[in-house]
Amino acid sequence: MFTFIIRRLLQTIPVLIGVSILVFSLMHLIPGDPAQIMAGESAPEEQVENIRERLGLNESLPVQYGKFITNAVQGDLGSSVRSGRAVTKEIGGRFWVTVELALYSTILSVFLGLIAGIVSAVRQYSFSDVAIMIVALFGLSMPNFWLGLMLIQWFAMGIDLPSWIPFIDSTAWFKPSGWGSFSQVVLPVITLGTAGAAIVARMTRSSMLDVIDEDYIRTARAKGAKERSVIYRHALKNALIPVVTVVGLQFGALLGGTILVETVFAINGMGTLIVDSIQARDFPVVQGTILVVSLLFVFVNLIVDISYNFLNKRIDLD
Amino acid sequence: MKFTRKSMLFAAITLILGLFLAACAGDPEEDDAGSSDNGETSSEGGGEGGDLVIANNSDAVSLDPNGSNDIPSYDVQRNIYETLIQQDDNVELQPGLAKSWEALEDDLWEFELEEGVTFHDGAEFNAEVVKKNLERILDPDVASAQASLFEMIEDIEVIDDHTLQIKTEYPFAPLPAHLAHPVSNMVSPDLIDEDYAAMEDGKDPGSVINENPIGTSYFKFDEWEPGNYVRLVRNDDYWGENALLDSVTFKVVKEDGTRIAEISTGDSHISNPLSPSDVEQVKQTDGVDVYEAGSVSLAYVGFNMQQEPFDDKRVRQAVSMAIDKDQIIDGIYEGFGVPASGPVPSEIPGFDDSIAGLDYDVEKAKELLAEAGYEDGFSTTIWTNDTRERIDTAVNIQSQLEEIGIDVKVEELEWGAYLDGTANGEHDMFVLGWVSGTGDIDYSLYPLFHSKNLGDPGNRTFTDIDELDDLLDEGRQTPDQDERFDIYKEAQELLVDEAPMINTHYNINLLGVRDEVKGLNQLPTQYLELHEVYIEE
Repeated sequence: MFTFIIRRLLQTIPVLIGVSILVFSLMHLIPGDPAQIMAGESAPEEQVENIRERLGLNESLPVQYGKFITNAVQGDLGSSVRSGRAVTKEIGGRFWVTVELALYSTILSVFLGLIAGIVSAVRQYSFSDVAIMIVALFGLSMPNFWLGLMLIQWFAMGIDLPSWIPFIDSTAWFKPSGWGSFSQVVLPVITLGTAGAAIVARMTRSSMLDVIDEDYIRTARAKGAKERSVIYRHALKNALIPVVTVVGLQFGALLGGTILVETVFAINGMGTLIVDSIQARDFPVVQGTILVVSLLFVFVNLIVDISYNFLNKRIDLD
Repeated sequence: MKFTRKSMLFAAITLILGLFLAACAGDPEEDDAGSSDNGETSSEGGGEGGDLVIANNSDAVSLDPNGSNDIPSYDVQRNIYETLIQQDDNVELQPGLAKSWEALEDDLWEFELEEGVTFHDGAEFNAEVVKKNLERILDPDVASAQASLFEMIEDIEVIDDHTLQIKTEYPFAPLPAHLAHPVSNMVSPDLIDEDYAAMEDGKDPGSVINENPIGTSYFKFDEWEPGNYVRLVRNDDYWGENALLDSVTFKVVKEDGTRIAEISTGDSHISNPLSPSDVEQVKQTDGVDVYEAGSVSLAYVGFNMQQEPFDDKRVRQAVSMAIDKDQIIDGIYEGFGVPASGPVPSEIPGFDDSIAGLDYDVEKAKELLAEAGYEDGFSTTIWTNDTRERIDTAVNIQSQLEEIGIDVKVEELEWGAYLDGTANGEHDMFVLGWVSGTGDIDYSLYPLFHSKNLGDPGNRTFTDIDELDDLLDEGRQTPDQDERFDIYKEAQELLVDEAPMINTHYNINLLGVRDEVKGLNQLPTQYLELHEVYIEE
């Protein structure tokens, strides 16, 4: 196990180099000049040239890349061309906001998805199975920014309830924006967790159904094991492997992909930072942020791989 | 590891509890500014005051006046710093840190400064400070985004502590207006020194000022969490009359719908801006209302005059006449716009209402097209960036031009690519806007139409007309205001005839404001005046 982890960590180095080259070249391939965007719509050419000079954009691309990577390995990701702040500082707090958002949403989607998936599989073709799958289909097809806006409408601005309902008169329970307190976290996590829950539910269901037909399940039943034990110990544990893979990938995707939900709920996370920086052609910030996200992505996948071993001892990591 | 029923149940409960606890234990610091229940108002100021929260669609880029050129940055800066001269509601110039000013000669200005003004850090405001600030704007190492506003300054001379003279290379009438532009916000001299010291150490220009901006205004900087909020608190030692509010928070809420939720729940007091299509909803919501104000901002559809067929004046006139502006104003901007006759916004002094634009006349348009040899029309493209209203405008133009046989293809570009492409003249037609930021008519015309400014600097229609250049040069160099306006009248008439762009309309600024906010004023330049604002209980 230990050598496996070391080997995987070493493998991340070429991955990160690849990612950095890719991001660096992409940013320079797309049209748009950061100096011009900074100078605004109305600045004379020499002004733009001054800014270009200051940002070091006049040097050749390999030189720029070389400087970037030399500094990056020393933990210096450069500074934002827009605000002048260090990239590490720009990423700083936003990193944890996005990690929290992704983590809570993943927990929610695993929790809901697993329960729904198991119930569905165990009672295949029953009313609850059909109902769950229909709901899951909705969850999956709903654009999450729309769901977010609807949740804000219903539970932040609130719906006035008729007077015959006791104790509560409005559903304005949560905050429409921001991140930190419980009332701010609920709506974005539900928004982001819904699609994930639907995927996990469908995945768990189909994976469980595959496993349930296996011989060893029949054997387990034949030897008189309790149905609960059959489902959770024998079936679920084996069915979980593809589910864990999907959850890992989803968590990774959420790290850079929470932009819509961040925008809708005015959450100051990494997604917004990436998109804003791309729009301003803020090369150092884009490069730095994507490097950090890829690092985390690789790390999450490492955890997923290790977890295979816990689920099925026959999977040999070394 | 065995998955027993108990362990599964335990795991599930732990997960839920963990989620709740982690969520509840949110960072308390985050809690009290960007996100707390700011609907509650504190009123230590004795009935008036309160903590105002403005939901902005964009964060400030920089709090150094020379750091960036965008409205959200300037909007915050204007409450920390002050300029020598200020604009009022009618875009007329009023004293700021300068008590008075006059042109001693055509190219020599004298400014008398307020006495007894101190910066938030205690430094004294005087003529030396003004000189230091202006020199910083002009310093190529600082690379100010708006240095061009002062490029004509030849010499700055300190006469005494509170008198200053500025000599320009050539007579330059709009100088006082440029001194009212936020780029000439006065920054504490000690802070400028620190900033230069940091530059010696390899830091970016403005990095020190940006971290801890210090000016003379009625609010002072408190905290900035980039991407989240900027908070200012009242400066109780202000040299003039103190502000009423205890604090102002500029909170970033990008999504239109969320900003409306913010003001209707009371989490914020002002939605800046308000989209025209959201006006109805806000009007129907209790406790909030719509604030409208005229603006110095023009919405236009430009032609690339160096590109066929738009190099022919008759084609440009024909296209301009084929567009019914009311369709755009009523259909897309919900009526919030004033039909434009020319490129100079009606709020700008020097705007001439006797000049009629090219009126909507499809028959005349067809005639002109035929005259130019395009009786069967032609094919062209129209570019737009991803702003909702601009895309709709492009589509509307497409359908209107179909009637005179012109086949238009709409192309939507990302902002950076859009600026780049239009600066390089790769476009045929394009949808864009222009804010006359200094409030002087020179700024409404010179950057947009002088051949010196082709492409990047503003002249994206690639207008290159000698006669117009002469008028624009003469206009900015004529000291007498009436004489100037006569010259600009001629220029405006010429522009109607040349038709380098379809001037669709002058924008109307829209805000969503909670009823308890009193004393709010939005200037035509889009900046919010917060000096006299308070929150009524």
